Amino acid sequence: MSIDARNHEDAETFDGTGDESGGEPGDDENRSPIQRWADDWIRNPEKAYAVMLVFLGGVLLTTSLFPLYWLFNVAMAPPGQTDIPLIPATIDLSAFVQVFQQVPFARFMFNSLFYAFTVTVFVLLVASLAGYAFGRLEFRGKTPLLFALLVLSFFPPATLFIPLFRAFNQQVPMLGLFTLPVEIYGTPGAVVAPLSAFTMPLAIFILTTFYGQIPDGLEEAARVEGTTRLGALFRVIMPLSAPGVATAGILTFITVYTEFFFSFLMTGNSAAEWAPVVDGVIAFQTQYTVRYDLQAAASLIAIIPVAILVVVAQDKIISGLTQGALKE
Amino acid sequence: MSSGGDGILSRLATWTENLSEQAYAYLLLVPGFLVLLLFAFWPLASAIRMSFFADVITSASLGEFVGFQNYVRLLTNTNALAPAAFVDPSFETPILEQALFMTVLFAVLSVTGETLLGFLYAMLMKAEYKGRRLVRLLIILPWAIPIVIQGMIFFLLFRPGYGLLTEPLQQLGIFSSLPLNTTFDGFVIVTVADIWKTSAFMALLILAGLESVNQDLYEVADVMGASRWQRFRYITFPLVFPVLMVAMLFRTMGALRVYGIIESTTVGCSTVPSMTCLVTQMMFGSATQYGSAAAVSVLIAIVVGLFIMVYLGFIRRSNQSLGLA
Repeated sequence: MSIDARNHEDAETFDGTGDESGGEPGDDENRSPIQRWADDWIRNPEKAYAVMLVFLGGVLLTTSLFPLYWLFNVAMAPPGQTDIPLIPATIDLSAFVQVFQQVPFARFMFNSLFYAFTVTVFVLLVASLAGYAFGRLEFRGKTPLLFALLVLSFFPPATLFIPLFRAFNQQVPMLGLFTLPVEIYGTPGAVVAPLSAFTMPLAIFILTTFYGQIPDGLEEAARVEGTTRLGALFRVIMPLSAPGVATAGILTFITVYTEFFFSFLMTGNSAAEWAPVVDGVIAFQTQYTVRYDLQAAASLIAIIPVAILVVVAQDKIISGLTQGALKE
Repeated sequence: MSSGGDGILSRLATWTENLSEQAYAYLLLVPGFLVLLLFAFWPLASAIRMSFFADVITSASLGEFVGFQNYVRLLTNTNALAPAAFVDPSFETPILEQALFMTVLFAVLSVTGETLLGFLYAMLMKAEYKGRRLVRLLIILPWAIPIVIQGMIFFLLFRPGYGLLTEPLQQLGIFSSLPLNTTFDGFVIVTVADIWKTSAFMALLILAGLESVNQDLYEVADVMGASRWQRFRYITFPLVFPVLMVAMLFRTMGALRVYGIIESTTVGCSTVPSMTCLVTQMMFGSATQYGSAAAVSVLIAIVVGLFIMVYLGFIRRSNQSLGLA
């Protein structure tokens, strides 16, 4: 059998096209289906690989999506029911409507979307500049500065909370030099500024990695054609690193959108006071009762903007070095 | 109006054109590091300073300067008010109830699981077939779920009596009847919940790496008759390696600071005390211990730093053996 397989494999390499008529057809009838599959796959390894991928993919997707499916089930269960069945008894989507009736959920979502959008745009811009410097330029102190970025992520964010809270809410002077205006606390600024700082190290690292991989020749060609230094970053390096930029963008957006610790503590509790979307989900939890159905529905609704973003950004991720970018 | 703006912009452009490479690099770093200085480095320095002052349990303030006393008490397990042992030198406390070991074990297990799963997911997202866009979206979705909801899902799955998975796992003898209140079970639940969510993060980064691989290389490899394994070993892996390292680096740092998922699954810091659990409990608990909380943060940073050193050494060695650097 193994010698047989070898021969087939060699044949495969030589004629390239995996034609199915290679084996003797008369043989197949005497074998069990399993033997036939095995034979087919040995003759045609690409097919076996595809079947494996489909099987593995199916298993992975099922396990990874099960908790989400189950969340949907929870949303459809009647209020107060905690014994959630595997298959919902009735299709009842009223929870998805009630979410908006009981709290200003749209406003909660808007708040978090606003945070996420502002931080992402700002971080991508600023981290691109830094990523370009780290990835493509030589300068003294590069390694220590990169390491300093990393050190920031050594500490739990909670550590930074008390000094930041004092700076925003009690006007303790920052760096011992100046105080922040009283008005900032409770506004988006008090959330956007720290969250930009927390998400920036990862964005800088991702962009440094991607920008550093673009061949020098491409940038030089653009420079020869009269593009400015900054222009080269935004017109050549960034488009060529589209997968990296899109990934850094998605990760930053989602991190901020689902962030709770700072956006909760730096703002008020109501939607009008810029509370984040997670606050909106928790709103269905009072001291005595928890409306799991509404919480589940609310969290499924909250995922929608992220899903849209991912769909839109996908095209950016796919358009890597091979597609279009080189033509610019 | 617009011409004036253009004037300034073009003058700025000319100015940057004439800077040396070094000066230009520093100029590009200014905006980012200014933000970081104010909202990250400065609060960090304040927190480190805090760790050398005594706790004042009755109010949100600091006592007198005590040097390393907070650290000594944490490392010798003699802080009577600490919600859990950071580390117990006598080893009378079970391993999973010592914050240091529990967290390190969690980080190793979850990052290993996430990397393997993330790689598989990334391959699934990369392969070409009908419905790939949908599969990509579905794979990323768990990462988009707020930690509070993630916690709720796993709480409902494992809650005593009702939880869908409580009874089967109990009958198999794997879990106790109160999995959310048992240290080992809670540890497993938190680890699984973490892997479930953050594999998507890994997958996304690895996918970005895969997509950046120049497809021409594969065509060359095909012409040369490279096997699937050889293509992976000599093209895919070396080119994805830098991104993979960034992903693992940041995930390891994240896992060593685990906190949110422990609270949101209701497993709770008293059952599975992670290092960051100690920080938040000491900061926001009934007996505020700002000094000790800050000291725990610094100890966390040291542990994370040691892990990072191992990574960086590994990256350097691999770069040499892969012929990259």
